Amino acid sequence: MLTYDHYVVAGSLSEVFDILDAKPASRILAGATDILPWARYGRAGDVHLSSVIDLSKIADLKYIQQNGNKISFGANTTIADLQNNALLREHASILAKCAVWFADDQIREQATVAGNVVNASPAGDTQPALLALNTNILLMRREQGEILKRVIPLADFIQGPGKTLLGQKEIVAGFECDSLLGYGSAYEKVGHRRSLVISTVCLAVIGKASKDKATLEDIRIAIGAVGPVPRRLRDLESSLIGSSVTGLMVRQVAEEACDYVQSRSRQEYRREVLVNFVERGVISVLNQVGLKVIRYGEELTSV
Amino acid sequence: MEISATVNGRRVTRNVPNHYRLIDFVREELHLTGNKEGCGAGECGTCSMFVDGVLVKSCLMPVQKVINSNIETVDDLDRDAGRTVVQQAFHKCGSSQCGYCIPGMVMAATSLLRKMPFPDREQIKEGLGGNICRCTGYQKIVDAVELARDVLNKTLPSSALEENTTEPIMGASTPRLDAPGKVTGAAKYAADMEMANMLHMQVLRSPHSYAKIISIDAKAALAMPGVEVVITSNDVPGIDNFGVFIEDQPIMAREYVRYVGEAVAAIAAETLDIAIAASKLIIVKYEVLGGVFDPHLAMKDGAPQLHEFAKNNITKHTKIRKGDIEEGFKQADVIVEEVYQTAKIEHAYLEPEAGLAYVESDGCVTIHSPSQNITHHRHALAKILDRPINKVRMIMSTVGGGFGGKEDMIYQGMLALAAIKTRRPVRYVFTREESFIASAKRHPFTIQYKMGLKKSGKITATKMVMVSDGGAYAMSTPGVMNKSAILGPGPYQLDNVWVDAIGVYTNNTPSGAMRAFGAFQSEFATEAHLDLCAEKLQMDPIELRMVNLMRDGATTHTRQKIDRVLAVDCLDAVMKLAGWDKGIPNRHGNSKVTRLDIGSTATRKSCTLGTHLKQEEDA
Repeated sequence: MLTYDHYVVAGSLSEVFDILDAKPASRILAGATDILPWARYGRAGDVHLSSVIDLSKIADLKYIQQNGNKISFGANTTIADLQNNALLREHASILAKCAVWFADDQIREQATVAGNVVNASPAGDTQPALLALNTNILLMRREQGEILKRVIPLADFIQGPGKTLLGQKEIVAGFECDSLLGYGSAYEKVGHRRSLVISTVCLAVIGKASKDKATLEDIRIAIGAVGPVPRRLRDLESSLIGSSVTGLMVRQVAEEACDYVQSRSRQEYRREVLVNFVERGVISVLNQVGLKVIRYGEELTSV
Repeated sequence: MEISATVNGRRVTRNVPNHYRLIDFVREELHLTGNKEGCGAGECGTCSMFVDGVLVKSCLMPVQKVINSNIETVDDLDRDAGRTVVQQAFHKCGSSQCGYCIPGMVMAATSLLRKMPFPDREQIKEGLGGNICRCTGYQKIVDAVELARDVLNKTLPSSALEENTTEPIMGASTPRLDAPGKVTGAAKYAADMEMANMLHMQVLRSPHSYAKIISIDAKAALAMPGVEVVITSNDVPGIDNFGVFIEDQPIMAREYVRYVGEAVAAIAAETLDIAIAASKLIIVKYEVLGGVFDPHLAMKDGAPQLHEFAKNNITKHTKIRKGDIEEGFKQADVIVEEVYQTAKIEHAYLEPEAGLAYVESDGCVTIHSPSQNITHHRHALAKILDRPINKVRMIMSTVGGGFGGKEDMIYQGMLALAAIKTRRPVRYVFTREESFIASAKRHPFTIQYKMGLKKSGKITATKMVMVSDGGAYAMSTPGVMNKSAILGPGPYQLDNVWVDAIGVYTNNTPSGAMRAFGAFQSEFATEAHLDLCAEKLQMDPIELRMVNLMRDGATTHTRQKIDRVLAVDCLDAVMKLAGWDKGIPNRHGNSKVTRLDIGSTATRKSCTLGTHLKQEEDA
């Protein structure tokens, strides 16, 4: 059970920083969908916190906007927003495709992208999608009455399982990522069941064709759940850009992915799945952007 | 913490403990018990309710988040206007069984149809992906959502929701009488019940798998304001043992604890928070002993003797001996041996255990609980409490799933005793974790199988040696061993049968009744073994069954004569409907034979993905 001495639903950013000044060890939460299941027998057990700051109602942290070739969204953007918001669907469609795999309908309405990122689970679903979008994370803190901000690439922000560069008395303000109109996107995830499942392997692919629709001008592949942190597969990306792409070539590039599996359990399964996810995701994106490529080898049966 | 919100159209202001979640606010403070707490960890969906028009899991929502919000629970979904279209559709389709998941399912269906008025079957399944059901298999729930969708869109008239009353009733689809209470959340399960002056129980459970209890010091707990009583086995007035077959289990650990999670002491206090805090103040001194966890090791000489009366920790050894097994193997052309294992699974009924006990004015102690065995429990309790039978009453509350897991009287004794000592009603609600730790599991089996067959497929000898981990107390072990032995060799005419079914005490969680108990495990081994034998004999596996199935005039493995047997007719009919692709089992692996059984219209589609956004698929 989770109990606390003080739980404050902050109305403004200054209120958050006032409480942090008085109680620097305050626990910050938004959706609470990770912390409540965690504080139960068999996991953390009974957890008592002195001070909790709930920043889910702060309007300044809820925004989704376009700035030129970038999209920015606030820390209180929920997973459901990723699915429902028209701007995000158009400019960063990978996020919506990731969201349909996230937990379930109810939890998506409560859970935030910031919460998922700060939790930094190796299997975090949003991370591969965000990495593929070259996302930066915006952090905010107050020192001697002055608001200080810093912007860090997401790949650097996530340091390890449960570890991020978030400083004490610092909060996530929002995210900024590429606006990718006209890109194709694919998200792959597998776990023990369809809904409410921790990823065993997850992957995001985004790509764009050249103007003459002969080659891939840009492709980004990011993976999660198979190592301590999510990552981009830049080697594979370079192999696919520029030259004309065939099913066989995609298969060969995909097979290189299996060496990125660093999991301690179910290695063989994850290696096989990851290769197939890369192949299927890339083929899907290719076809979305007008490059008609058929998956190498015999057609799959519908079993 | 003062919370003001609008709940089901009515403004409320209440003072609650600041750690309350929305579910606690709704159920415990406002007494709206339609929505349930099946898990408390956001997995099961029974707690789903609308906050400002959005469906959320209220067990994951600190109550502070709903200040000045608009909350809609299942209790008043229809706004006093009779059941909603969704609720009527659930009733019409017969979607509820135990009913515990249904309020959550109704909420999820309502939310889905509000957001997506024309979902197809796959979208419905995905929209309900945050809700679990343990009873129904989901088909009728999805049917109900489709029906509701069609009526709401006027594709079907509202008369499609009406009951079909037909004569004669036999063969007709009649509506479930208990459905209205279940689709509205009005049906009360034990955790929904309360009485004036009620106390809340918390149980201290053993952290050790095997230990001697040296002392229990409850002084500090008793001194805590709001604590009414602390009970241990010392407080039990009568003969303290119960059990479905062997009465080997005390209502709280007596002298020894024999599994992690066994009840050691129980507290009844004014509030659950006080009871939980008090349980942490009870000091139990244990002498930890070396336990035994593998039934094969537990049977050996020198293993710790867990119960005085059970030599070599054998709970029950059932034997079947028919014919001459050695002669049977001599007659065989082929002998096939294999070892099979089954798992110790949890029933996971959606309703965690709960109970409410009180003493009537005439001194009759009454216990409401979802017990599957109230007559037996009542008699056991009368003996344990040293009361005449007419002063003990057991009432079976609406059961939110049992499957055999609620057959054992693992908490009703503590409730009854606390109610008697305090002269107040006492309620106890298990958390999901507590239900996992303390309640019965399915018996895991290790089955050594040896079968002799002729080239024709005729079985000449079946030998099954089965060892099962019965856990710390007997529960249903004798019955499970009997059933596994008697039914294990299957519906086949066998002249030579040798079966050993050995249930063994260990320091694991007790194994108890679980759907088909025993027969499921042993028959799994038999059917798997027959498929293996078909491969060895290069026969079609169904043909192998046909050779051996019982027919009219058959004798069972326990020498019972059966006049009329329709097994062959059944199998024939099933195989026709199944579109069975005849042949030896491993023919596809090493030959060029094409599979005929997949890819047709009758083949079930694979799990579809991401239907909220139609994802492109090219493969």
